[in-house]
Amino acid sequence: MKNKYLFLLPGLGLLLPLNSLAQGGNTQNRVDGYGAPTTTEAARGAAGEAELNILMSYYQQDGTHGAVEGGRGTEHLTDLTPTIILNVPLDTVSRLSANLGMDVYASASTDRIDQVLSSPSSQDTRFHADFGYTRQLADRRTIVGLGAGFSTEYDYRSFNVAASWAKASRDGNRELSLAGQVFFDQATIIRPAELRVNGSREDGTSPRQSYNLSAVLSQVLTQRLQISVSTELVYQKGLLSTPFHRVYFQGSTGALGEAKVEALPGSRFKYPVGLRLSYYASDLLLVRGFYRFYNDDFGIQAHTLEVETPVKLTPFFVLYPFYRYHTQTAANYFAPYLQHRPSEQYYTSDYDLSGFSANKVGLGLRYSPVYGIGRFKTPFKGRIAQFKALDLRYAYYRRSTDLTANIFSADFSFILP
Amino acid sequence: MTRVFPFSTFSRLLRGLVLVVAAAALPGCVSVAAYQKVYLNDEDMKLANKRVEVYETNFESYREGAGGANGGKVGGGCGCN
Repeated sequence: MKNKYLFLLPGLGLLLPLNSLAQGGNTQNRVDGYGAPTTTEAARGAAGEAELNILMSYYQQDGTHGAVEGGRGTEHLTDLTPTIILNVPLDTVSRLSANLGMDVYASASTDRIDQVLSSPSSQDTRFHADFGYTRQLADRRTIVGLGAGFSTEYDYRSFNVAASWAKASRDGNRELSLAGQVFFDQATIIRPAELRVNGSREDGTSPRQSYNLSAVLSQVLTQRLQISVSTELVYQKGLLSTPFHRVYFQGSTGALGEAKVEALPGSRFKYPVGLRLSYYASDLLLVRGFYRFYNDDFGIQAHTLEVETPVKLTPFFVLYPFYRYHTQTAANYFAPYLQHRPSEQYYTSDYDLSGFSANKVGLGLRYSPVYGIGRFKTPFKGRIAQFKALDLRYAYYRRSTDLTANIFSADFSFILP
Repeated sequence: MTRVFPFSTFSRLLRGLVLVVAAAALPGCVSVAAYQKVYLNDEDMKLANKRVEVYETNFESYREGAGGANGGKVGGGCGCN
């Protein structure tokens, strides 16, 4: 059994371009667009117990290179994101999962679609729901899953379907998981006020499809060390540019009427590969590492390194400081404000596609006593539920393009009778 | 295109990754029985992000052109601009 997956390693290697290396987009922590667990671990739960997670975050960012104003405006944004994840066993081998949530966001840059110099923030709410079904097969080592979901907001609709397969080796020391997901999206065309063709704020819709294929191979190395290598190939086609992003060209003064809307190619292929490592250094200290190499046909190459060191203050109370470094090259189509030439076919001044480095640092804490934090009576026939664990996290993000962000996140875990 | 990371460094990392993966897959190099997995079964040893990290993963995939391979902009709607 151990040798069974060896033939897949050269295959995974062939997926890498010769001039690139690793990222690992493990999909099992997606809040949306994720209905089917992609690992046997993710689908495994305590028999007969339903799990409920209430997650939320508050995100705030600020910067001076807003894409709506051609790379020179505010990037101020706030986002509040409550989410509920429910995992219910149907019997001893199958489970249903539901993932419901929303984003309530206010964006100063988006508000400047209509008027470059306006100041109040535009607000919108996005709703998303995803559902998944997983089943453990008779060999007890294979789990298959199906999922579907959708999201909707003012100018964007999305529908997705997913399928997954995961199999562990007989001794449980190796696991291979594969997952595929397809998104069918519709974006409403909204151009900046001065660039509208017929004067109407909305100009129909445009489709976008995304095809994701992920593969993760994990391996236990010693009693204290395990690693995984992963890839998540993404192919997108359709409208990949954002029609309300302005681009100002060389020779223009930047006044209203002298911009064009962002133009990007109609397809994009991403091929990242990653390596993840977990090491139990001592009874008090663990080391978790993640390295990713990213490459795509927009011309972006990136390296991401993350290190987290959980410290067990008690067996049930863990503090985990973390650090992340990211560096990327600019897309072939990026240039700052007034730097594009009018002869170019594709152009953007979105600094998310520029070359930059970013640092993220933060601290998390988890409290998860073996018998739970507390118990309470539910409205369902007076049954007792358990408040199982609490996970809190804060991160500060700073990008070399003058963007900063703060994010608070929380995860409340419950066991339902 | 500005190369932030020297290719030679990248090439060395690639070779290192291949060696690590090859070592991990070598048959017989590992034999950890279920009763020996007290450390491996620890919550913090999971080879995945914590669930609470998902929001950070999402905003990184919005704010970085190299995002999208870990959730976010590849589909499922915008949520922020």
